[in-house]
Amino acid sequence: MSIARAFPVFSAAFAVIYLACVQYNLAPFTYHAELMQWGLGAQPPRQGPAMYWYGWLTTSTLGATAVAALSLAVPASLAKRVWPGFVWLIPLGVIAAFVYILRGYFLR
Amino acid sequence: MLTVLLIVHSLMAVGLLGAITHQTVGVWWPAKKRTGSFVSSLRSVPSMTYTNAVIVLFILTMIVGSIIYTEYRVSIRVTLQDYRMYVPEGAFELKEHVASIALGLLPAYWYYWRQSLSQDRATTRAMVTTLVACIVWYNFLVGHVVNNIRGFGS
Repeated sequence: MSIARAFPVFSAAFAVIYLACVQYNLAPFTYHAELMQWGLGAQPPRQGPAMYWYGWLTTSTLGATAVAALSLAVPASLAKRVWPGFVWLIPLGVIAAFVYILRGYFLR
Repeated sequence: MLTVLLIVHSLMAVGLLGAITHQTVGVWWPAKKRTGSFVSSLRSVPSMTYTNAVIVLFILTMIVGSIIYTEYRVSIRVTLQDYRMYVPEGAFELKEHVASIALGLLPAYWYYWRQSLSQDRATTRAMVTTLVACIVWYNFLVGHVVNNIRGFGS
């Protein structure tokens, strides 16, 4: 069994989970850049901006790893039937969703 | 220190841009026979050899970018907001997100290039490469523009 066959699953899952992380602020930690302090969980800004991006990347990586690991349980013969185009189509759709979420910046 | 990191980030981004552009051109428009022309040379690069370089450069560029990103959030973004420069601010917000998506795409990118000898995944390989290339180009241009707005060393 090749672990590498889970890599495309990781990539597609990462994009979807990252979108959820941003939308629902699923950050396991926060970086207060001006204070140069880390805090547990998604904390409100103390002084200056609170940065959640590092936390979003961590959640996405862990979540996508879990999904990819689960996908290895699917028999390779069955997995081969799934259209491989999902690996670029899903991230492309997530990018389109971000453009929609951020549209306020471009339509003022 | 941050200025040095910004320059290093930019130089690595230039290298990444060159590598992924070469690979994308090579995968969509391969040359059957190499002539002496510039275009032919560009098209006839062995695309597979760029894969590891692209992955390493992308990760290194992103690591350095994530360090200088704090400075953007603390002082540069505030300036953009003060001057009501919503489009550059929004473009940079999008840069942050698409860079993350491209980072997540790297395992699939590696996987499809590893299997480059098989032609059954050629379209997927080309599309993943193109998506990474578009993201790298977008990020490079937005980073360049935002850097120009704030001004070097200001």
